[in-house]
Amino acid sequence: MKKKNNIIKMEVPNKGMVGRTLSLMVVFGIVAFIVLILQLYKVQIVDHELYESNAVEQQVRDTTVAANRGAIYDRNMNTLAMSATVSTVYVSPAELILYEEEDMRVMISSRLSEILGVDYDTIEAKWLDTKSWYKTVAVKIESELADQVRDFKNEYNLKSVHIVPDTKRYYPNGSLASQIIGFVGVDNTGLEGIEAVYDRYLQGTNGRIVRVANEKGVDLPYSGYENYYDASDGNSLVLTVDDRIQHYLEKNLAQAIQDYQVQDGAMGIVMDVKTGAILGMTTLPNYDLNNYLEVNEETLAKLQAQGLSESEYNDAVYNALLKQWRNRIISDSYEPGSTFKIITLAMGLEEGVISENDYFDCSGSIRVKGRVEPIHCWNRDGHGQQTLAEAAQHSCNPAFVNIGLEVGAETFYDYVEAFGFRNHTGVDLYGEGDSIWWSDDVFEDRTNHSQLAAASFGQTFTITPLQLITAVSAVANGGYLMEPYVVSKVLDSDGNVVENHEPTVVRQVISEETSERACAILETVVGSPGGTGKNAYVAGYRVAGKTGTSTDTITEAETGRKEYMVSFVGFAPADDPEIAVLVILDNPSNESGIYPSGGVMAAPVVGNIMYDVLPYLGVEPDLGIDGESGVYEVKVPNVKSYSVSEARATMEELGFKVKIVGSGTEVTDQAPMANVSIAPNSTVILYAGEAKPDKTVRVETLNGMSYRQAKAVLEQDGLFIRSMGVPPSDSLTIVVASQSISPNSEVAYGTVVQVTLIDNDSSIMEGAG
Amino acid sequence: MAPDFDFPKRFGKENETVEEPQVRELRDYSESRFINRGRIDLPFLVLTVLILTVGVITVFSASFARSYYETGNAAGVFLRQLFFAVAGIVLMMFASRVKPKTIRKYSKLLMIVSVGLLFLVLVIGIIGGGSRRWINLGFTTFQPSEITKLAIILYFASMACRYKDQMKTFRYGIIPFGFWLGVVVVLLGLEPHFSAIIIICLVGGLMMYAGGANIKYLVLIVLVGGALLLLVLLTGGYTSERITAWRDPMAEKLGDGWQIVQSLYAVGSGGLLGLGLGQSIQKHMYLPEEHNDYIFAIYCEEMGFVGASLILILFALLIIRGYWLAMRSRDRYSSLIVTGIMTLLAIQVFLNVAVVTNLIPSTGISLPFFSYGGTALLMQMAEMGIVLGVSRNIDDK
Repeated sequence: MKKKNNIIKMEVPNKGMVGRTLSLMVVFGIVAFIVLILQLYKVQIVDHELYESNAVEQQVRDTTVAANRGAIYDRNMNTLAMSATVSTVYVSPAELILYEEEDMRVMISSRLSEILGVDYDTIEAKWLDTKSWYKTVAVKIESELADQVRDFKNEYNLKSVHIVPDTKRYYPNGSLASQIIGFVGVDNTGLEGIEAVYDRYLQGTNGRIVRVANEKGVDLPYSGYENYYDASDGNSLVLTVDDRIQHYLEKNLAQAIQDYQVQDGAMGIVMDVKTGAILGMTTLPNYDLNNYLEVNEETLAKLQAQGLSESEYNDAVYNALLKQWRNRIISDSYEPGSTFKIITLAMGLEEGVISENDYFDCSGSIRVKGRVEPIHCWNRDGHGQQTLAEAAQHSCNPAFVNIGLEVGAETFYDYVEAFGFRNHTGVDLYGEGDSIWWSDDVFEDRTNHSQLAAASFGQTFTITPLQLITAVSAVANGGYLMEPYVVSKVLDSDGNVVENHEPTVVRQVISEETSERACAILETVVGSPGGTGKNAYVAGYRVAGKTGTSTDTITEAETGRKEYMVSFVGFAPADDPEIAVLVILDNPSNESGIYPSGGVMAAPVVGNIMYDVLPYLGVEPDLGIDGESGVYEVKVPNVKSYSVSEARATMEELGFKVKIVGSGTEVTDQAPMANVSIAPNSTVILYAGEAKPDKTVRVETLNGMSYRQAKAVLEQDGLFIRSMGVPPSDSLTIVVASQSISPNSEVAYGTVVQVTLIDNDSSIMEGAG
Repeated sequence: MAPDFDFPKRFGKENETVEEPQVRELRDYSESRFINRGRIDLPFLVLTVLILTVGVITVFSASFARSYYETGNAAGVFLRQLFFAVAGIVLMMFASRVKPKTIRKYSKLLMIVSVGLLFLVLVIGIIGGGSRRWINLGFTTFQPSEITKLAIILYFASMACRYKDQMKTFRYGIIPFGFWLGVVVVLLGLEPHFSAIIIICLVGGLMMYAGGANIKYLVLIVLVGGALLLLVLLTGGYTSERITAWRDPMAEKLGDGWQIVQSLYAVGSGGLLGLGLGQSIQKHMYLPEEHNDYIFAIYCEEMGFVGASLILILFALLIIRGYWLAMRSRDRYSSLIVTGIMTLLAIQVFLNVAVVTNLIPSTGISLPFFSYGGTALLMQMAEMGIVLGVSRNIDDK
């Protein structure tokens, strides 16, 4: 039965209830939602940017893509510093707890310890910080080890072990040019030397990967929130330094330290006279750039031998580190002594107050205004009447005091300024030291000439070695003061030249003519028999220069001990100078039997450097220039299988004496072997049928022996001599300063020992005035 | 034919403030004892399904990041919710066929059962977050407090009808209601489950108000209840931490404020138009409970102020339509249960959105139709079904 449209009367909710329901409707259906929408408006619209930026900050992960650091090359594009990709391994204790099985920790620790060679307990300790996501286990490991860790990680699908790429700096030449090149810290930022100065060039620009990650740091699935900014690799640098020249410099200085028992190190610099480019520069002892935190072995051995307490030892090691990093050529100012006479000479000539025809009288001392005590010459007996050139050869203090007085204090200071002694040279390295000079008022005091007098021969002020060689180069190159520099080119990562360092002339200080005259005079200091610099003689080359001997004023002031700084600055060839070399030996021992003076100790070192460097630079030796034979070594020809008489004739023609062993008619062997060079008047041995003794002989200590004696000793042992340095002669003052094969080493019979000869002539043993 | 609601007979004469019955001529739908006939209220149905649809889609968007990260299956949570949504629609349609009279008849039983369950949960409940709120059914878990909420509405409506003429008295208008509320509050307090207490007290109180209880008493109770609440807040460390985090969430960013700060980041970074559906970043493990209590924050982040306002307006329209239906109901009981259900819905929406936007300190209240949770969704759909059932008896919709 359908009752579809039946109408009935019903009681519906009365007015009271409808009213109450309506009130609820207003409150819950309208007011509540208006409140919510207003609050949403506040959070979403008004405070939108605040919350958005905060949210983005936590959501965006910014990963750095390291740019490759540029390389450093010497001027012939030999690599001095380069970067290679390495890896850093870290563990994440937080992820260990999140993802790995309970018993994995010990296994991970032991495997990592095994692969990386890191102590097991050290790795175990890393896991203790359970909230950490980053605990470094090993930094900068080679890719080989990193691959092993990666295999291990993949094998067990480990989430708590991470390998990230990093770069490491390599210095293929170890300690070569260490203070110039410098090093980078673990963060690949340059800390010393070129690495620090040119850091912004070398660094490049790191790239970035900006990505959005979830709270666990994992990339969002199926998301496109990722932006790459490419890294641009750093620029490379080409230095003015030549690795060969640097090697010659370091080799000869190291030899000098050994020969003269130099206590406080040696420093040297080779400069291109015409451009101011630094071809080589070093301070010994230096350090291995690949292990810059390790003290030089010899220094360390010396410290260990001193029996210091632990804290004293640690301090000493720390100081030794700082010292070996220090580039003393540019950083440490010193009292130059007589080498400065080059400058006094140049200003005197330029001002026209002196000439080559002037005579200077030396009585052994000179009185100057404002000073009670007379100033002594290093030669108390006096040099008597001398020409200007002789005064320079003798390094005569009174003569140079006179030149200084002639120039006058104000003009003298103008030249000091003009030669760049009162400013930094502007070299592109950090840590240039300040020079110390009297104030203008004191120096230019008309009633007291003592400061001017002392300055004329290089005392009572300090300058840096770099300032000195730069000024000497100016004297040598025609008068142009150059700005020294070590970086010649900046290359981009494709090898294109981005910047080119052109030589910079600071100013012309003296005329070209004055320069030539000064060079001629300075050449006689080395070239003349009475010259204090004659030990810098290099056969076939015209070397000019000046000796210097000074006391270490700072040490003397502090300890009262007299320690010498012996130096020599030279340049060659004297008629058209190309390179200048400055060598300073700090505190040589006078127990070596060789008198501690610039002329005796430093000059031969410069000579040896010149001997190595000039031929390398393609400067042809001119053997006719000496007025002597100029031939101090002869190459031994091959006479094997010659008849004895023929062989004898060949040898004697070359100036050799001949000794024949055996009674055959044909030469079966010879000593020395063919093609080695030995002293011309040596006795060669020809074996006719008899065998050459197959034995070794012990090399004697030759240092301090006269040339004649050394030659005899060697020949007696069946060894041969060849000499460098001053020309060999039978004079007793010509002594061996250095030998190529160290004493007491065993060498094959017939070996050639090269010695460096110096003239230990008392007349050139200038003291520190 | 007798009207299908009862007049109070025992106490009728005592009370002077009896409301005048309002009588209208209505179509008779009572040909069946149990089955509701009549047309369903289409706007209410459409709004419900619309909100549910948006809610289920939002669950997918909000949950896939964590599901993928933790289980590798991005759609796990979503599919489960979708199943419950479909089941919920079936349940809703079924519930709409149940006559209010029938519901009233069983309301007391439901009340007793729900209290029993509240006892039971204290014994066999699963502990989570320091309280026992869930009973494990094997295939799913459910909170008895969800049933209690509905039971309170249905039974309070029944009592309000029975004591219709004595509602203004303390003896009948307050005490019976207060008794049940007290029992429920004590049991929930033992779990403890403060958010449920708050909701049940609010809904219960408002049911009494709607039923015609004396305003003076209600105000007095609110004052006393408020004082008690304040005392609890001041002494309980757990809640006072939440207050601190609420007042300056940024200061407690990594501690108690983490959740609310992450929620504000999500809501705030949505801006006017939002990051787009599925584009939330905060759901990638930054915001805890991103598909439960804080799902609305993800919705705001993706849909922006415009989308958030829109869904709130839909909720408002649904609630207004519900109250409208209550006012148009053909009998007192129907009206009261609809009022109660709408009030419950409104309170839950308000409290949830207010927490997500840091308008009030955090409480664990889910957002109806949005938050992930099968039994809660089924309860909500059943409630909507009851409203639709009432709507079937309304002629002039």
